[in-house]
Amino acid sequence: MQSEQTVAPRSGAQIVMEALALHGVDIIFGYPGGVVLPLYDEMTRWPAIQHVLVRHEQCAAHMADGYARSTGKVGVCLATSGPGATNLVTGIATAIMDSIPMVAITGQVNSWAVGTDAFQETDIQGITIPITKHNYLVMDVDDLPHALVEAFHLANTGRKGPVLVDIPKDVFTAMSSVPFPTEIVRRGYRASAATNDTAVEAAAKLVAEAKKPVIIAGAGVVWSETNQALAELAEKADLPIINSLLGLGSIDRQNERSLGMMGMHGEAVGTLAVQEADLLIGIGIRFDDRLTGKVAGFAPNAKIIHFDLDPSEFAKVVETTLCVPGDLSETLPAFTAAVQPKANEEWWAKLRGWQQEFPLVVPDSTGLMARHVLQMLDRTTNSDAIISTDVGQHQMWTAQLYRFKRPFQWLSSGGLGTMGFGFPAAMGAAFANPKQEVWAVVGDGGFQMTLQELQTAVEHKLNVKICLVNNGYLGMVRQWQELFFENRYSHVEMGSPDFGKLAEAYGVTFFRCSTREDLENTFEQARAADGPVLVEFLVEMEENVFPMVPAGKANDQVQMDPALPKDKAPMGIPA
Amino acid sequence: MRHTQEHTVTALVHNEHGTLNRMISLFRRRGFSLSSLAVGDCEEPGLSRMSIVVNADDNMLRQCVMQLEKAVDVVSVESLDGKEYVHRELAFIQVDAPPEKRSEIIDISRVLNCEIVHLGLKTMTVQVVANARKIQGLIRLLEPYGIKKIVRSGTVAMSAEE
Repeated sequence: MQSEQTVAPRSGAQIVMEALALHGVDIIFGYPGGVVLPLYDEMTRWPAIQHVLVRHEQCAAHMADGYARSTGKVGVCLATSGPGATNLVTGIATAIMDSIPMVAITGQVNSWAVGTDAFQETDIQGITIPITKHNYLVMDVDDLPHALVEAFHLANTGRKGPVLVDIPKDVFTAMSSVPFPTEIVRRGYRASAATNDTAVEAAAKLVAEAKKPVIIAGAGVVWSETNQALAELAEKADLPIINSLLGLGSIDRQNERSLGMMGMHGEAVGTLAVQEADLLIGIGIRFDDRLTGKVAGFAPNAKIIHFDLDPSEFAKVVETTLCVPGDLSETLPAFTAAVQPKANEEWWAKLRGWQQEFPLVVPDSTGLMARHVLQMLDRTTNSDAIISTDVGQHQMWTAQLYRFKRPFQWLSSGGLGTMGFGFPAAMGAAFANPKQEVWAVVGDGGFQMTLQELQTAVEHKLNVKICLVNNGYLGMVRQWQELFFENRYSHVEMGSPDFGKLAEAYGVTFFRCSTREDLENTFEQARAADGPVLVEFLVEMEENVFPMVPAGKANDQVQMDPALPKDKAPMGIPA
Repeated sequence: MRHTQEHTVTALVHNEHGTLNRMISLFRRRGFSLSSLAVGDCEEPGLSRMSIVVNADDNMLRQCVMQLEKAVDVVSVESLDGKEYVHRELAFIQVDAPPEKRSEIIDISRVLNCEIVHLGLKTMTVQVVANARKIQGLIRLLEPYGIKKIVRSGTVAMSAEE
């Protein structure tokens, strides 16, 4: 692939910085160490590329991830060899599970020492094989230009994902005249399966025949930015749109045809709709087990159409009637054009009935509950902020109650379910979107996993606001112990420091709220403050997330919120 | 229980740092059961061809082919099920062979088109090039003499026509 042409010799470290510039990278998140010293030295000559010094490499990966999820662009993180590289692993695994474009650069011990158990040597290429789309150990500086350009190409095309480039110390200092390739032609690499017009036509025919159709739109719509086409499709064929967790934002939640999220803690209407549907159109989703429940009971009456660019997702989890391969930016507009206008009035009457009968419950209690906080977050920010979360109850309540409008507004670790993700991901988003309001919604458990980044936020006067929902428990685990382990609470009580003092120690603006009366005012004060803000909400300790499909059960076993009238809670859906 | 059986698949792959590791990792991670794997150079420099025998039901086989095709290392995948293809495996079987038993073992080898590639004071080594089932048959025939060691190359396979 190397061209005959040469350029003036430059070091491997310079090649890395040139590659970043070539790909429009304006910010990287990293942490220095022994073997990356030549790169950090070179960096001083590149003021246009900002380097954010994190306090733990895991957060460098999460920040790069948050940058990517909030912009649609490739996020870049950087770590030294050995422990620096292994600390990236959770962040890389988080990214692969949600198909996030990321390039991770790691330093490696000198090429001649690789394999000798040298100081801070680890086989990061071997370690990250199962959690990267592809990875490289570049032993010859002449291979570096191609490896870096290919890494960006692979990360950001087709089904996106993290790519790791491991570079030995002496490769950073070695000189090469090999230019960057102007295009990447990698034999056998198919960014997307070829579009199939016949399948699109067949899909349109199934829509015409269906009486109870539903769409489940996933992250594929977000990343292909086909949300407009999706909205047009829904309007033209009068289709209800349900979202997977990571599909939130692919349709404006306030669009009349949006039914919100479905899944283990999805809104009841979505779960009931899929149970009764005669046609299910999955668009850019991978039928995750948290969405399908027990597969044998999933969409029992429906023909299933699956749109995806990755054909390995077809029939991986559920049997499908029709697969429509191809990039959604091609297939979705074609599908929209092919469907005939129709109205599904009877079906909608039923859906509206379920919405009224089984709404999300936000109790009108006097004490402050997490749901009050998250509903107020939605209202006070006009549903317009970039929101990241950790994993657990607060994540599900945010997904239920925040009315996302657009792609790249919702940052959450869906596949891996990474606690500690929320705050650093929000920071990555805040660096990328300095003019937008960015909130990290975290629990007291997850926040204590990565809160050392408060210092990083302070140093950069970063406009990131933390909505800390403190219930003194690992809430979701506690909920499972309550419901499925007869209230035997085992290691779920979560002690915390005095977050006010912690914030003061870091120099972070702090508010605390423990009553509903103070809620709106607290949010307004927090929103008005500049720089990083930590807001602690002391909420009811034993609040549960409903609806809930117990793990391993079919979706017809959905448990409705106990606050709803008991006689109306369906156990088993009428056929 | 789902019905599984052996399927032969070949994959043309980039011969790069980590390729074999990535392929093996894919099989392990996705739970594909490998019966045989053979890798070697092919007609094009820089590429290798892998012959893979996987024990799978139809759905797993389909997933296996899809996941291979998706791998960045892989240029192309060919499932040989239902196609005309040639396949062979090579094995060495070292067997106890005191002088009085030698001629029996030589007879068996001759009947099955095998070659004696080494004759020692106490053992003989038989080379067999055949399909896996025939190799299994030879092993059964030689077992009564006392098998010391077996080494097998894994199946190599190629579709018969383009």
